[in-house]
Amino acid sequence: MQTGLLPYGPFWLGQGVLTLLLMLLEWTRPGLTSPLRPICDLRVLKHFIEEAKDAEAAMLTCKEGCGLAELVTVPQTKVDFNVWEIKNAPEQAKEVQSGLWLLSQAMGSLRGSITNTALHGQIDNSLRNIFSIGQVLRSLNFQEYPPPGVGVSGAETWSVSSASELLQVHVNFLRGKVQLLLSNAAACQPGGS
Amino acid sequence: MTNDHLKGLFVYCLLCCTQRTDVFGAHGWDTKVAQLLLNEPKNPKCFAEGLRDLTCFWEEDEERAGSADQYSFIYTYQNENSSECNVTAQPAEGSKNLYFCRLSQTQLFAPVDIQVFRDGLLIHNRSLHIEYVFLLDPPSNLTVTQTGSPGQLKARWLPPPPKYIDDSMMYEVSYTVAGSRTEQVAEVRASSELILRGLQPGSRYNVRVRVKLDGVSYNGYWSAWTDPVLMEMMPGDLDPLIVFLALIISLILTLLSLTVLLSHRRFLLDKVWPVIPTPESKFQGLFTVYGGDFEEWLGYSAGDLFLRPAYFYTEEIPAPLEVLSEVGLDSQLCSSPLPPKAQQVLDDGKEEKLKQMDSSTDGWSETPHEHWLMDELRVLHLLPTPQDPQLKSQDAYVTLNAQNHSGPEPLGDVLEETRPLQVLFDSGRTCSDSHSDLGSFQQSSGSGCLSSQSSFEYPNHTWSPKGPGYTYMAVADSGVSMDYSPMSSSKIDFMGKGVAYTNEYRNEIPAHRQPVPFAF
Repeated sequence: MQTGLLPYGPFWLGQGVLTLLLMLLEWTRPGLTSPLRPICDLRVLKHFIEEAKDAEAAMLTCKEGCGLAELVTVPQTKVDFNVWEIKNAPEQAKEVQSGLWLLSQAMGSLRGSITNTALHGQIDNSLRNIFSIGQVLRSLNFQEYPPPGVGVSGAETWSVSSASELLQVHVNFLRGKVQLLLSNAAACQPGGS
Repeated sequence: MTNDHLKGLFVYCLLCCTQRTDVFGAHGWDTKVAQLLLNEPKNPKCFAEGLRDLTCFWEEDEERAGSADQYSFIYTYQNENSSECNVTAQPAEGSKNLYFCRLSQTQLFAPVDIQVFRDGLLIHNRSLHIEYVFLLDPPSNLTVTQTGSPGQLKARWLPPPPKYIDDSMMYEVSYTVAGSRTEQVAEVRASSELILRGLQPGSRYNVRVRVKLDGVSYNGYWSAWTDPVLMEMMPGDLDPLIVFLALIISLILTLLSLTVLLSHRRFLLDKVWPVIPTPESKFQGLFTVYGGDFEEWLGYSAGDLFLRPAYFYTEEIPAPLEVLSEVGLDSQLCSSPLPPKAQQVLDDGKEEKLKQMDSSTDGWSETPHEHWLMDELRVLHLLPTPQDPQLKSQDAYVTLNAQNHSGPEPLGDVLEETRPLQVLFDSGRTCSDSHSDLGSFQQSSGSGCLSSQSSFEYPNHTWSPKGPGYTYMAVADSGVSMDYSPMSSSKIDFMGKGVAYTNEYRNEIPAHRQPVPFAF
């Protein structure tokens, strides 16, 4: 009786099934490599802006347990159209991506600082919206840039010490630079890629 | 990097130079100022017309007003140093002065602090977002057109500058019937056209539009209204649905009326167009065959005389029996002595008969006598069978005639004719049958009644009465039917030339003897 390895034995059969299963998972995995349909409807961003305004309004009514424990770095929100329009799209996208990263870091710090549980939902929602805007940018085929890293500072950043300032920056950033970038995205222009 | 900065500075200077030409030349600037003076309570009153400018102004009474140099306008962006703007003055209505500051380079999406000083004293302080104080120009090129549908108009316009923020603009369309104060408004977002619905056909509408930013990323004040555009609606536009329903209803009503008319067409025709009665049905063939020629239809030509009368009588009821004769029976029937009364009657009848011979007419008109008829009947009654072997005891005949004492009488005089027969019946009626009608006869031995159930045969040749050419008929009553045998005198031998008209009469007397009508 032969005791050599048989190609159709139980072991090989199981390996084949496992391989096939991994291939299927790899193929259907929702990840950064999968192409996304361009999200050009600005009503999505407007929804995020409205929710950010709600969070800012809620923070203004907070009396206690809603302060930042430390200074947080936030992006500059002001837009000079004379300067903005000179920048090309990748530069604009880089500035927006950097600012979103800074905001997410600041929101995380705020989430850990405030003790008012009523505002936790607002903060969590803002964090989810920032992540979603990142997905929208990815769908518009903007080049992804690595995060600037902790402690980076520059002309495009500044620091805030209060939660209300942070949320105000959050709103202004979405209304300004993010909205200008998305409204002028090449993927959403007629005949654009 | 140095080259990039120089390049950006060059472009910036170029843009600034192009914007200086329209510092205070904006369209409707005075209107905007007047609008903000009314609607904006804060000071300084600021508005942005585009993405790169900001105009602030405030109003001072003449008492407090000074020269423009006395005022300082200081603005500070977030995380930046303060900057100062040059102030200009402009006289206003009501002995007031307006002071302005216009920035040609702004930063949006960040708060800016504004402070106004007069002679070093802070008079106004305000923090605002420039993207929230947009006061745009009104839309341009407003056009109103017909859509083709009833009660609708289409309004189209061009959005005002700045560009690239069209999707953040919202419009308000106002439409009013010309001469009316009732204003209707419709709102539309991110679109530069609108279809107005529910308009009155045949009316004239004034349409105008204004614009404002939607408040999500940008906000501001309502712009001024455009110049109104007058548009006249098409008159008498009918809703297709109403027209269709009206057609359906009219069709249904038409079908119903037709159904009613058809169901009553004969009645209506008789009322509207009554049929003129024609005798054509009574005279078959008169109009169709003979073309209305009555004489021809009657057949006055030879050979048609006896055929035509049939048409007279086809639908007639059977003609009444007319049996008449002036039979000279005295030679035959007087073999036995008559009773004196009968003899006298017979003699009288002879004399009268002689008088009537000349006046008697042909054909059917006769003047029989009453008495000789009575005598004849009595004779027959009294003289049984030997004189007339074929006339048996149960046989009987009925002769009917019009009796007249004064002169000839036409046939059909009924009243007095009943007398001879009445006498006859009275004399011979001993039957158990109480029927008194003339049509029933009963005969029993010795009673004198004649049986209507017995057969009767009367020979045609055995009785040849004298006298003029009278036609008479013998009646044979078999109980089932009564046969009338036409008899004629010798003068006018109808029997030889033709057949006298006979009308077969059927006696439909049942077992219990129904009366049979006779005509006299």
